[in-house]
Amino acid sequence: MAAPATPAARDWEALARRARWRRTAGQSLLIAFLVAVSLPIILPYFWMFTISVSARTGGVESVVLWRASSVLVPAVVGFGILRIFTDDRRRLWAGAAAIAAAALLALLLLVGRDLHLQNYRFLWNPDIVEEIRGAATASIQFPSVWVAFRNSLALALTQTALVLFVSTLAGYYLSRFQFPGRGGFLQGLLVLHAFPAMTLIIPIFLLMYWSGLLDTLTGVVLVITTLELPFSIFIMKGFFDAVPWDIEMSAMTDGASRRQAFLRVVLPQVRVGMLAVGVFAFIKGWEEYVFVRTLLFDKQNWVMSLYIFWVSEDIMGVDYGIVAAVAVFYILPSFLLYIFCQKFLVQMSLGGIKG
Amino acid sequence: MARIELRKIRKQWGEVVAVEDLDLVIEDGEFVAILGPSGCGKSTTLFMLAGIYMPTAGELLFDGIPVNEVEAKDRNVGIVFQSYALYPHLDVRRNIMFPLKFKGVPKAEAARRAVEAARLVHVEELLDRMPSQLSGGQQQRVALARALVKEPQLLLLDEPLSNLDATLRLSMRTEIKRLQRHTGVTTVLVTHDQIEATTMADRIVCMRKGRIEQIGTPEDLYERPDSLFVASFIGAPPINLLPGEARDGRLAVGGTELELLGAAAGRVILGIRPEALRPGEGGLPATVLDVEPMGRETLFLLETPLGQLRALLSGATAPYGAGDRTAFTFDPEDSILFSESSERRLPDVHVRLPA
Ligand SMILES: Nc1ncnc2c1ncn2[C@@H]1O[C@H](COP(=O)(O)OP(=O)(O)O)[C@@H](O)[C@H]1O
Ligand SMILES: [Mg+2]
Repeated sequence: MAAPATPAARDWEALARRARWRRTAGQSLLIAFLVAVSLPIILPYFWMFTISVSARTGGVESVVLWRASSVLVPAVVGFGILRIFTDDRRRLWAGAAAIAAAALLALLLLVGRDLHLQNYRFLWNPDIVEEIRGAATASIQFPSVWVAFRNSLALALTQTALVLFVSTLAGYYLSRFQFPGRGGFLQGLLVLHAFPAMTLIIPIFLLMYWSGLLDTLTGVVLVITTLELPFSIFIMKGFFDAVPWDIEMSAMTDGASRRQAFLRVVLPQVRVGMLAVGVFAFIKGWEEYVFVRTLLFDKQNWVMSLYIFWVSEDIMGVDYGIVAAVAVFYILPSFLLYIFCQKFLVQMSLGGIKG
Repeated sequence: MARIELRKIRKQWGEVVAVEDLDLVIEDGEFVAILGPSGCGKSTTLFMLAGIYMPTAGELLFDGIPVNEVEAKDRNVGIVFQSYALYPHLDVRRNIMFPLKFKGVPKAEAARRAVEAARLVHVEELLDRMPSQLSGGQQQRVALARALVKEPQLLLLDEPLSNLDATLRLSMRTEIKRLQRHTGVTTVLVTHDQIEATTMADRIVCMRKGRIEQIGTPEDLYERPDSLFVASFIGAPPINLLPGEARDGRLAVGGTELELLGAAAGRVILGIRPEALRPGEGGLPATVLDVEPMGRETLFLLETPLGQLRALLSGATAPYGAGDRTAFTFDPEDSILFSESSERRLPDVHVRLPA
């Protein structure tokens, strides 16, 4: 048996080498593919950002975009290659730091002189439109961006709180209790979610008008919350379904009342679900446009989406830089929220309470 | 500690009757096992004792006091679920302390008692781990500690060993028995495994389809099974059952006749335990069909005039091989007869091999 052992060993090595090569090639292809499909998504945002920090009154500097891209694209590709060929964490970090430093230096040299923050002056100067177009703007005196920001924040946060509260309780009840009409209720939730909300605009407008909630943030909050609820309840019910009965029963034999068992034992198991529902609700409230456009008129009630709409309406073609800067400012909160919650949101797709 | 009494307890969900007219008294400090196949209503009975389910009818008394309406949280019952039901978001220490939180035990004393309980089940070095970092056996011990820490008047165990591997099952059997003796707590164990029931419990309640089939000590159930069901459920390897016809003081079984001791007539079923059969001159002529070594014992499959029989002989080395011809006999007291129509045991009726 000793004789055939040597060629066999050589075969093993060849096989291992082939597998290694295949893995590397496969990974490179995957990364190339992901880069290719994400480019059309990332590029407009990148361009927007570039315009906001480089455009001067009167023109768009596409040169800056190309120069910045010529630095960043090789940097990203370089990092990808590094990822494929290094498994060692320490070396990966060192390499990444080196690439980042080189890219930063190159950016500074190539576009450093073109960067400025003038386009962000709307943050401290509320009369931005008058300044650019003179007093002749369509009789709209612009409110400070902070008014719109505060309104948006109030809208999104209130709506998030309401959605979280109602969908958590409703999801728990639907998951745990049997009551007449439960099946119909669940089906109704799905149908409501599939129903295009736009078709409701006129009835909702009338409803708001009759109830005196037209042109109030409260009205908009109620409308968006209602539209958001079916899906959130459904999601929360799914999370509660995944919590075993046993631990709840166990808590009750341990001396907890049903409410205490819910608060202390069941609720902690659905934290991820609540986070996901909360983030989605916040982003929904933050980005809402159609209903605020329909239901809010007074400029003291403007939210960010209305603010950016009127800014671009009034000065588009005159100053792209400011529009881009407002857009960046508008995106920032949802972007940050997403970055912080990304880890948990990914868990949600696994439906997991294993943490 | 408490004396538990169930009077005509019944539980049904709509048309489904899970438990029917259950009468049972569990003495203070007793260790009782509820034994039966899956779906016979064991867990339902246990959950009624815990207060998780409310009996549809009947009366449940703790120390002579009716507790039907008393909620689970007020019953001071410790329960270990089949899944252990540890709280996933709490570490072992907090899991064990959880029941004390609702009893108004001061924090320092609660912590001390938790450590004490952990020591009792040998998990004191795991106090700071999360449940997901524990093996099945460790989770089980923690669940036991949590059930015992509140010094319950009744300890309930729902199939506590079914998720453990064979070796662990053996050691936990001893362990649980030791804990029960040590604490003296009235204990009800639910299991579908007859070995668990017979090795651990003082008394066994054998259930079938929501009704009690027999109550007795392990010896009672083994030697004097009331019914065919109990006889075939208790004992491993299972009892030999042979249909026959009793007439004129003789029992016709298979191709031969046995001498009937006691009064019986009509169709009956003869039961002989594999352990009761032994080689003997002038006994039943038998051909060995198969030999199964089982460690210290050996199981033989025999072809006899009565039909096929299993015989269990002590000794690791088989005195016979397949194909051997020999003779087997048994003591008349070891034969059990059941009426075929009622499936009840015919008391004081035995059979003897014809001289
Ligand atoms: N919550 C419930 N609703 C309806 N039927 C149930 C419920 N719980 C148990 N049952 C039924 O009662 C019977 C006994 O169940 P159980 O007590 O869990 O059996 P086991 O002896 O295996 O523990 C089964 O037929 C089961 O289907
Ligand atoms: Mg069960």
